[in-house]
Amino acid sequence: MHTLASRLRLTRDGRLGLLLVLPVILIMGGLVFFPLIASLIESFFRVEPMKPGSPFVGIKNYVTVMTDRTVLAAWGTTAVYVILAVVIETGGGLMAALLLNRITIGRRWLLAAVVLPWCLPPVINAIIWGWIFNPSYGLMNGLLQATGLTSGNHVWFNDRGTGLVLISLVHAWRMMPLTVIILLAALQSIPKELYEAAKLDGATALQSLRQITLPLIAPGLAIALSQSTVFAINLFDEAWILNGASTDTRSITIQTYISAFQNLKLSVGMALSLLIMVASLAVSAIYVLRVYRETRFE
Amino acid sequence: MTPRATKRLATNAALTLGAALLLIWSLGPIYWSLVASLTPPNALISDNLHLWPVTPTWEHYAKLFGATSTSQGNQVQSVWPQFRAALLNSIITSLAATIVTVAIAAVGAWAFVRLKFPGRDALFIAVVATLAVPGFTVLIPLYRLMIAAGLIDTYTGVTLIYVSAFLPLALWLMRSVYQAMPLSLEEAAWIDGASKFYTLLRIVLPLAGPGLVACAILTFLSAWGQFMIPLVFSPSLATKPLTVLIPEFVTRNYVDYGLMNAAGIIAIVPPIILVLFLNRFLVQGLMAGASK
Repeated sequence: MHTLASRLRLTRDGRLGLLLVLPVILIMGGLVFFPLIASLIESFFRVEPMKPGSPFVGIKNYVTVMTDRTVLAAWGTTAVYVILAVVIETGGGLMAALLLNRITIGRRWLLAAVVLPWCLPPVINAIIWGWIFNPSYGLMNGLLQATGLTSGNHVWFNDRGTGLVLISLVHAWRMMPLTVIILLAALQSIPKELYEAAKLDGATALQSLRQITLPLIAPGLAIALSQSTVFAINLFDEAWILNGASTDTRSITIQTYISAFQNLKLSVGMALSLLIMVASLAVSAIYVLRVYRETRFE
Repeated sequence: MTPRATKRLATNAALTLGAALLLIWSLGPIYWSLVASLTPPNALISDNLHLWPVTPTWEHYAKLFGATSTSQGNQVQSVWPQFRAALLNSIITSLAATIVTVAIAAVGAWAFVRLKFPGRDALFIAVVATLAVPGFTVLIPLYRLMIAAGLIDTYTGVTLIYVSAFLPLALWLMRSVYQAMPLSLEEAAWIDGASKFYTLLRIVLPLAGPGLVACAILTFLSAWGQFMIPLVFSPSLATKPLTVLIPEFVTRNYVDYGLMNAAGIIAIVPPIILVLFLNRFLVQGLMAGASK
């Protein structure tokens, strides 16, 4: 009697559960999983609205996106973005988090100011910075000339190297708050007694940082690193607004957009976007595994 | 002064300097854009660098919101009809996406935590795994799907895509909220004979208030700032949001920097209001969302 009743209750729970997650199943199934599978299948066909039919072409699309010189250059550009953005965000973010962890007066407001860039539309950020980088009337040229560091107006995006650095900087300006918050949460979970004990043992501030702080925030650091990397791999808005489709600063996601929606080579775009997904997932996995191993051995 | 006091003074000075630098880095560019939006056009293109608007003007804002408009002395077509349409589109799609996402996540995440049903864990893992999938990957087949369904350039289409993009994070957040909630409250209600669904509505959801707010803020900000999705799915002013319209001001033969900065400032007002008043929820939400 008792077991029967509990089993009946379980099925009723089961039915209610399924009913409540039905919207999740419908939306994610229809708008994410189905397109994902469709993408996987159609990347082996030629899907181009301007050409009749869609014949099976095997791995031709994948060969195209791994040999085409423009696409390869875009991969290279994205690699540069990832390195620059991760370095700026992690370095700057760690310093900002350590600072915020020490500050007691007005921390709430400082944190609000720090978080703000992350909250703004990336497109507007790029426009704001684009005005600062303006060759004729921008703040950057103005300040550099006022301090006598340079003379004459620099057209910053004429130089590929400078363009890459500036786009990474704007991207890092937006994404650094996420690193700061993740690291600040990790810092606040470290027991104060550890530092007091280290101080009694005569450790310097730098020793405390290296022996206590960094190992203990390693998991947070890994999350921050993987977030920074994945967002930088998907960098689109900043490069698009600041320098358009220019091949100098064209990231792999811009290349995908151009292949798919401007050249209307949909299946090439799908192959490319799947490779981007694999890259993102692989990077996340590497960080997670490394941290998992390191924290296990300690 | 004792060496100890000197050291403390030095530490405080360093901390203050660091805080000042952090403030300039975070707010400086926004301040500079605000200055540009209040500077008259001829002063914008002068050689003298002023760090504040010397002769502040509402001119650029008047151009955005005015029925008629002049540019370089000539009567030109007003941008207000476009700007109004895009502003409304941004508000409608972002609010709709927020409401739908939070509603689905609030109920769904509770089911994932409190109810046992077949395939529960596999479904949850699959949905959360899509957080690592770039939105891009599904954009192209989704484009064809939306054309076939006649949902390109409709509020329904854009909202649905937003929901599918922001639901995984919302579910993840709400699940951590429910997991932190003591089961005993719900059990007490069940023992009193309340149904599980009734318990969710009358006891669990009111307690989950802060989590729901965090979830709503994150979803709204993501939708408000979206660029790539509307770039593909909102070709006309029927649904085109501010993020797509404002960059188009550049592509005209004459770039109106004052107008662009004024439009940008308008577009960042809602996020700034959210950060000013609801920052606590936002930071909590981000921290919970990040601790994967």
